[in-house]
Amino acid sequence: MTATLACTGLSKRFGDVLAVQDVGFAIAPGEAYGLLGPNGAGKTTTISMLVGLLKPATGNVTVCGTDLAAEPLAAKAKIGYVPQEIALYPELTGRENLRFFGRLFGLPRRELAARIDEVLDLVGLSDRADGKLGTYSGGMKRRINIGAALLHRPEVLILDEPTVGVDPQSRKAILDGVERLVADGMALLYTSHYMEEVERVCDRVGIIDHGRIVAEGTRHELVAMVGSADTIELMLDGDVDGAFDKLQALEGVVEAVRTGTGSVRLLAEGGRYVLPAIITAVDGRATVTAVEVIEPDLEATFLHLTGSKLRD
Amino acid sequence: MLRPLMSVAALELRTRLRDGTALVVALIVPIALATLFGLALGGDDPPLRATIGFVDLDRGEFSASVRREVMSNEQLKGTLTLRELPSRQEAQRSLDAGDIGSAIVFPQGFTKSVGAGSGGQVAVLTSAESPLAGVVANAIVDRISSVVDARTLAVRAALAYGVAGDRVKELVERNGAAGPGLSLADDPMEGGKIDLSVYYGSGMAALFAFFVVGASFRSLLTERRQGTLNRMRAGPIPQWTPIAGKALVGFGLGVVSVVATWASSSLIFGTSWGDPVAVFALLVAHVLAAAAITMLVASRAKTDAQADGVTMVVSFVMAFFGGSLVPLYNLPGFLQKVALLTPNGWTSTGLIRLAGSGGGLTTVIVPIGVLCAIALVAGGLAAAGFRKGLLG
Ligand SMILES: Nc1ncnc2c1ncn2[C@@H]1O[C@H](COP(=O)(O)OP(=O)(O)OP(=O)(O)O)[C@@H](O)[C@H]1O
Ligand SMILES: [Mg+2]
Repeated sequence: MTATLACTGLSKRFGDVLAVQDVGFAIAPGEAYGLLGPNGAGKTTTISMLVGLLKPATGNVTVCGTDLAAEPLAAKAKIGYVPQEIALYPELTGRENLRFFGRLFGLPRRELAARIDEVLDLVGLSDRADGKLGTYSGGMKRRINIGAALLHRPEVLILDEPTVGVDPQSRKAILDGVERLVADGMALLYTSHYMEEVERVCDRVGIIDHGRIVAEGTRHELVAMVGSADTIELMLDGDVDGAFDKLQALEGVVEAVRTGTGSVRLLAEGGRYVLPAIITAVDGRATVTAVEVIEPDLEATFLHLTGSKLRD
Repeated sequence: MLRPLMSVAALELRTRLRDGTALVVALIVPIALATLFGLALGGDDPPLRATIGFVDLDRGEFSASVRREVMSNEQLKGTLTLRELPSRQEAQRSLDAGDIGSAIVFPQGFTKSVGAGSGGQVAVLTSAESPLAGVVANAIVDRISSVVDARTLAVRAALAYGVAGDRVKELVERNGAAGPGLSLADDPMEGGKIDLSVYYGSGMAALFAFFVVGASFRSLLTERRQGTLNRMRAGPIPQWTPIAGKALVGFGLGVVSVVATWASSSLIFGTSWGDPVAVFALLVAHVLAAAAITMLVASRAKTDAQADGVTMVVSFVMAFFGGSLVPLYNLPGFLQKVALLTPNGWTSTGLIRLAGSGGGLTTVIVPIGVLCAIALVAGGLAAAGFRKGLLG
């Protein structure tokens, strides 16, 4: 079966920064794919190449088998792109914004009005559609921002951090709407800083760091990569070097990493049970000023693979 | 292809029409300024009639030649009158009383001083009440000055070469070094019958065309900041659609603006700018050049605010050097050459030629050709700039 959206070997350089290197993945019809990465990982740059805004230095993109570089208009007609920033006209109403982009993207006039109503309903803004966009809340703008990408019934929806700066009510409306679209068979590429959103919405996740995809799989597969070990973050005060040596040798500790002058990260089987031993081991050399146990989940995997947390 | 283009154009037009200041800039300001300048500085109706005081304390060949030329010049007949006055004081009194519009004073010993290679100064008295007569008097004196300069130089050269003082004059004149044969045959203002309202009308039209078309390209940068440009570009439309749609509206509004200024100037002052087809073609070519130049600015600018600033500076520089603000005949000779580097210069000269000569399209085929060439070059550079920047 042809993938709805596929890319291989994508790279892009900005001056000295290799923003994206050799990125490739494929999204099947009705599949939701999450791209998870810290700030500056290259998510937006990757998406810009997927939607034809940036020319890749290497690699290629196909949409439902159509090559983006060779037939840009045909390929783009199948993509619904939601930019990371709100990209709408503040002086127009929500409905007028939708009408403009719908017409621009070739919807027949007869069909357009009905389609706008459908989309407004989907994003839950039917009752506020005729207010000026400039007067909307951040969450409402985000919802129209998504709606504008849905008018032409794309095969794949590309969402670049769609819930940034959004109130809980709008976030729920957005996630519900996205899930409904995926259930109806739309392919989805979703990037976010919010682990729980990606876990909830996506079937498969690619973890991107420094422009490379460092791991890819279902949530289950990714979590299994760090095994059943818990991650323990410690903040120490005193003879940190001495304490670190002790911790490394401790039974149950699979891996120990110095992450800062006074901070240590341990990977340990049954973290909660090792904790008392950790405190004892450190005692006399250093005092533990803070401790955090992260059980195996996507967040822990992410931490393990990229060495950084999703949110600071 | 056409539908997306029309969608962009429709939104741009709607935004521009909703924005009150855009209409003001496109229509009201150029018309108002052209009218004010025309009223303040333009010739009376019937056109120019000026009496210039003439104080001849020198009684030499230079003053005689001016008198002779002004009297015998066909084009100045009935327009310009010289009134002989006995002294500078008397001239000043007449000027203050409004009996004359300006005065030219030849000081005693002028001819002798020039003949000796020491040069000479002819004074011009002007009054704020009658600027036009001042312009004419100055133009006449400018001509005398250049003759005097040439003469002085020749005499000095001859003296330096060791020619005896009493033979210098004869030598210089015999060798044709600008004798006093002052000629006003082509009168001081090119196309002397042109009402000044045409200068200011065409000048304002030429200047504001830049602002009107520039606003459309500036909005391209606003859309880039707003993210809407990228959203359009990510859609199934040709990359050039947003630029082309905006260019279309900017160009259309530019044409409306210049035509409105032309029409209102003609109506208010009752003067003709010349053959309508030729005037229209020239104005359209000017808007085309202005569009290409402001597009070039937008293609290189980083932000919409920067584009605004640069467009403003470029427009005024082109307007000043191109004779849109100060009539070209008032500028020194080398600046009149510089004017031909600007579209405004070609538009002004073309329009003045049309108004003065009564000629048709063929009269302005060269200015139109040059304007189109400017548009082509600037447009090509702009396209390259867009390809690298906005669409890169
Ligand atoms: N136009 C550009 N010019 C220069 N550098 C750029 C440009 N766009 C992105 N970069 C750089 O490329 C890298 C990847 O940026 P990108 O925006 O793709 O990251 P991201 O994963 O989307 O980050 P965020 O989560 O902050 O949105 C960063 O180092 C960024 O500074
Ligand atoms: Mg981003």
